[in-house]
Amino acid sequence: MTVQNLMEQQVPHPFAQQAGRENRRDRAFHGFTMGSAILVLVILGGVALSIAVGAWPALRAFGPAFLTTEVWNPVTDQFGALAPIYGTLVTSIFAMAFALPVGFGIAVFLTELCPAPLRRPIGIAIELLAGIPSIIYGIWGLFVLAPFLQRTVQPFLIDTVGQVPVIGALFQGPPYGIGVLTAGLILGIMVLPFIAAITRDVFETVPPLLRESAYGLGCTTWEVVWNVVFPYTRVGVVGGAMLALGRALGETMAVTFVIGNAHRISTSLMAPGTTISSAIANEFTEATGTLYTSSLVGLGLVLFLLTFSVLALAKAMLLRLDRKAGK
Amino acid sequence: MTMRPHASVSLRQQNPYDGQDVPKVEVRNLNFYYGGFHALHDVSLPLHDRQVTAFIGASGSGKSTLLRVLNRMYDLYPHQRAEGEVLVDGQNILDPKQDLNLLRARIGMVFQKPTPFPMSIYDNIAFGVRLYEKLSRAEMDERVEKSLRRAALWDEVKDKLRQSGLSLSGGQQQRLCIARAIAVQPTILLLDEPASALDPISTAKVEELIDELRADYTIAIVTHNMQQAARVSSWTAFLHLGTLIEFGRTDALFTNPQNPKTEEYVTGRFG
Repeated sequence: MTVQNLMEQQVPHPFAQQAGRENRRDRAFHGFTMGSAILVLVILGGVALSIAVGAWPALRAFGPAFLTTEVWNPVTDQFGALAPIYGTLVTSIFAMAFALPVGFGIAVFLTELCPAPLRRPIGIAIELLAGIPSIIYGIWGLFVLAPFLQRTVQPFLIDTVGQVPVIGALFQGPPYGIGVLTAGLILGIMVLPFIAAITRDVFETVPPLLRESAYGLGCTTWEVVWNVVFPYTRVGVVGGAMLALGRALGETMAVTFVIGNAHRISTSLMAPGTTISSAIANEFTEATGTLYTSSLVGLGLVLFLLTFSVLALAKAMLLRLDRKAGK
Repeated sequence: MTMRPHASVSLRQQNPYDGQDVPKVEVRNLNFYYGGFHALHDVSLPLHDRQVTAFIGASGSGKSTLLRVLNRMYDLYPHQRAEGEVLVDGQNILDPKQDLNLLRARIGMVFQKPTPFPMSIYDNIAFGVRLYEKLSRAEMDERVEKSLRRAALWDEVKDKLRQSGLSLSGGQQQRLCIARAIAVQPTILLLDEPASALDPISTAKVEELIDELRADYTIAIVTHNMQQAARVSSWTAFLHLGTLIEFGRTDALFTNPQNPKTEEYVTGRFG
């Protein structure tokens, strides 16, 4: 090999080669991350579009009345979504009414008051509770919780709260065991670990100095938690609550086991009812006519929009809180 | 002899700004433990009424630990305990029957880093006041203004009291914390390296403020900055590995230390 040859080879600068390689890899990485992000949009759009298309026959046939009709009669091809919407909302509200205060209490106890040796066992128990499959909750609800409620809690409620004017109407009628109340309670137990674990995790992000400053002013534990820890972590707490609410709205299996699956709206919380997701799960296999199937998909669309508005409401609430805090 | 406390009170009233060396706080034979670790050994010292006492010493000397005993902040944590006596106005605050919330309301504390609460500037001040006093709106406005003025922050924030306390700069946040501490009208202020996270200008402002405040408050300040201790305090306690090596008037301790360890530390030979 001559010197002449070597000169003609035009060896690139070693660093230049390295830079080119880095650049290619960085571009590939950039493309991968962007692709992943776009995938979310595509999936979301695809789901929304196909649900809307599937629900179209029912929406065309019934119009806005689909949302306000209680009748659900496959024989006469009359379908209205009001009963499942009502059931979904009531069970979810009941679940949150149970799980929010209890979850908050667990988080406060674990972060502020719990003796150190108990902290880990309780924390692990909460995580285990979150890991129980919903079918297990369903079976347990049907065979254990519902009979228990039927024998003890429900007769008690009927005899006491049931006699009070106005709100008494919510607690009257025969104690079925299964029904909206039981479904709400099961949902509450199911979402409780989410709320407790997320709330505890975000409470632990509060800087110790901030906590000490509040105690240093003479605050009690409650005042520290309510005025300092909670406002500091509210984005996380609201986020956790919304995640739990989203799960409660969409939970299917456990609810289907214990709600009774009746397409009607009863005043009493102890009467059987249905939710959107349990109606879909129960009836999809037997839905024969186009209109029947389309109405079930329509229910799905309603659930989709419901979950969407819950998220939007949460965002709006956080914005308002921020404004109040002077941000 | 029985007349002495009375006499000293009247003296103080005649001449409130001059340093009559009346102990406001007396620490006696204090031992402190983090679990099995013995962090303070038999510490005894006074904090004189309306004077500034600085705690100096290297990291791990126990100066912050000592400060945190004075409002029993350690009580928040299991396995931390104190033995001995800490008398505030003659009353032993280490007594298990001591009401901690009341004690901490009487003793203000400011920390290494600014810790504004996640609320507006106004509420940061009003929050602590509301815990123990029921004030009308006008009274509260007045208290907030007075506290912010006292902390030399009023002019900078008077037009944005509704904004978040977190929107202020670091130095402003620290003065907000000082304003918050004095708004509840404590008699004692504990400052735990209050300027360690601040730039030099903010530090100067905080030091000026301490100088102003000592007319009304008994102040204990932990600092790792010896110049700062010399500038702001009348009394200095030098701690080393959990033991009080020397306590005395600041000028004497810095110019004529009695203990060779103190001399080594203040002349910068270790620590």
